[in-house]
Amino acid sequence: MQIPQLEIIILGKGVIALSENVVKAKRKNSKINKNYYGYLFTAPFIIVFLLFSFYPLIYTFYLSFTNMTMMSKTYKLVGFENFAKLFQDKFFVQSLINTWKIWLLNFIPQIGIAMLLAVWLTSSRLKIKFVGYWRTIFYLPNILMPATIAVLFFNFFSFYGPVNQVGVRLGIFKDAIDFFRNSGWTVSIVAFIQWWMWFGSTLIIIMAGMTSISQSFYESAMVDGANSWDMFRKITLPLLKPVLVYILVTSLVGGMQMFDIPYMLTDGRGSPNGSIMTMNILMYMKFSSNKGHIGAAASVGVMIFIITCLSALLIIKLLSDKTDRKTNIKGKRG
Amino acid sequence: MNYSSRTKMNRGLVYLVLTVLLIICVIPIWILLVNATRSTPEIQQGISLIPSNNLMVNWKNLTNRGFNIWRGFLNSAFISVSVTILTVYFSLMFAYAIHVYDFAYKKFLYGLILVLVMVPTQVSIIGFYKYMSMLNLLNSYVPLIVPAIAAPGSIFFAMQYLESSIVKELIEAARIDGCGELTIFHKIMFPIAKPGAVTMGIFAFVGSWNNFFTPFVLISKMKKYTLPMLVQTLRGDVYRTEYGSIYLGLAVSIIPILIVYILFSRYIVNGIAMGSVKE
Repeated sequence: MQIPQLEIIILGKGVIALSENVVKAKRKNSKINKNYYGYLFTAPFIIVFLLFSFYPLIYTFYLSFTNMTMMSKTYKLVGFENFAKLFQDKFFVQSLINTWKIWLLNFIPQIGIAMLLAVWLTSSRLKIKFVGYWRTIFYLPNILMPATIAVLFFNFFSFYGPVNQVGVRLGIFKDAIDFFRNSGWTVSIVAFIQWWMWFGSTLIIIMAGMTSISQSFYESAMVDGANSWDMFRKITLPLLKPVLVYILVTSLVGGMQMFDIPYMLTDGRGSPNGSIMTMNILMYMKFSSNKGHIGAAASVGVMIFIITCLSALLIIKLLSDKTDRKTNIKGKRG
Repeated sequence: MNYSSRTKMNRGLVYLVLTVLLIICVIPIWILLVNATRSTPEIQQGISLIPSNNLMVNWKNLTNRGFNIWRGFLNSAFISVSVTILTVYFSLMFAYAIHVYDFAYKKFLYGLILVLVMVPTQVSIIGFYKYMSMLNLLNSYVPLIVPAIAAPGSIFFAMQYLESSIVKELIEAARIDGCGELTIFHKIMFPIAKPGAVTMGIFAFVGSWNNFFTPFVLISKMKKYTLPMLVQTLRGDVYRTEYGSIYLGLAVSIIPILIVYILFSRYIVNGIAMGSVKE
């Protein structure tokens, strides 16, 4: 009884070894034969990317050196004339300042609150319940249509709107405030909407980063007698850096292109006093003006592109010093 | 004793802050939905958290003034569904190629995607507009749908997802059984990648559904307006005093997304985390 079983086992091992050999041979073979599928499978991306993303970008750069308008059929190359005009244009300088101002006003509270909430929700001491539900609700504003949000908040903050009704009734303001005629209020409302839409998303990313930090770091720090602030500063922050760089860069790229909310909240020209006219709105205004200054609008687009890329590179360079470059790259990949 | 009572106090404070933030997140949306059912005089009297019974009147006022919401709905649905299918299919295909095959510029493509995720894309809209007008594609949905084949964000996600879920042995086994490469991609990779595909699909759908800027620049025919473009017109003079109708129009535009969110929030929340951090 014993011997045949053994034989079967040996035989079985032989079959497995044999099939492994076959697989190895086939694998070698198939690798040589099938790798050209790599080109085929990436071809749709490459073709569409070149046609619909890369070419329009290059073409925008080209247009920024021309004096093309919608009305005239002919145009000529004018060199850096559009750019020279931009830097003398007080609207452009203002839109540049506005864009940075609105972005910083929403980003600083956004990262601060998200960080605080992430520490709380992941704390093993506090043991907050329903973590999943909290962050699901905080993320909700992010998936709503910006067009809807802009019109909604326009109604909320209009002169006869609910904010004034409640504010006056509770005695918070003496009289109803004409929010959209006051630059300070309007900028704050835009920054608030941006914060409202994005802090949940930032929270989720930071939480994922925090939970991927090994608990053993905290345990050994606790043995050494560290308090929670020390642990946050010496363990959480340094290990979270790649995630923070990711958040900072993606938020910056989005913030520099801000359009929907400031465009739809007031008259589409950044009123009052051009206080919420972002660079993207200025680009659209030049494009949709009576004459349709294609060249000038393209030069604004090119400037946004350059400013964004330089700032992003600067952030990555400043925040990733040599010692943790490796982890940083890993973090950006994911 | 002291320690645990302090923890309890902190916990109370945390729940208080969380509740305040919850109210800030939910109240605007709740008021929007409630006001959609109230009449204009009711809305002017003050805010309420309880629905009223003016829904049908608001609906009539809304649709009688040329606000063809169904057309906008259909247009947006058509674009978003097409975008979703193309994005999911071709992003997975690209990521699959990166992980399964060895070919010359594989590393370059991988790096390119990482860079593209961080590059501003809206800034080339002027060149895009001129280019599309030369190709006679203004007022067409082609420039809104076809670029979905090359969506760096989705590809980035797909590469992350497949890296951990592709089983090379399975692919080899299928090859031995004589399956073609495309069949393997369809029949073996797709079922494995299904949860990831759902997440990608939701993000692609929501992104396209909410997109305002590109259609706004490219489309000028009222008949072809997408939903965000229609919603934007609610701010204009036509509805100046019809607050109930304005709120109803806004409510209709977000209800599909709210339903998607209620059904799939788990995928969405996990998806954001996965797109940025590998756990």
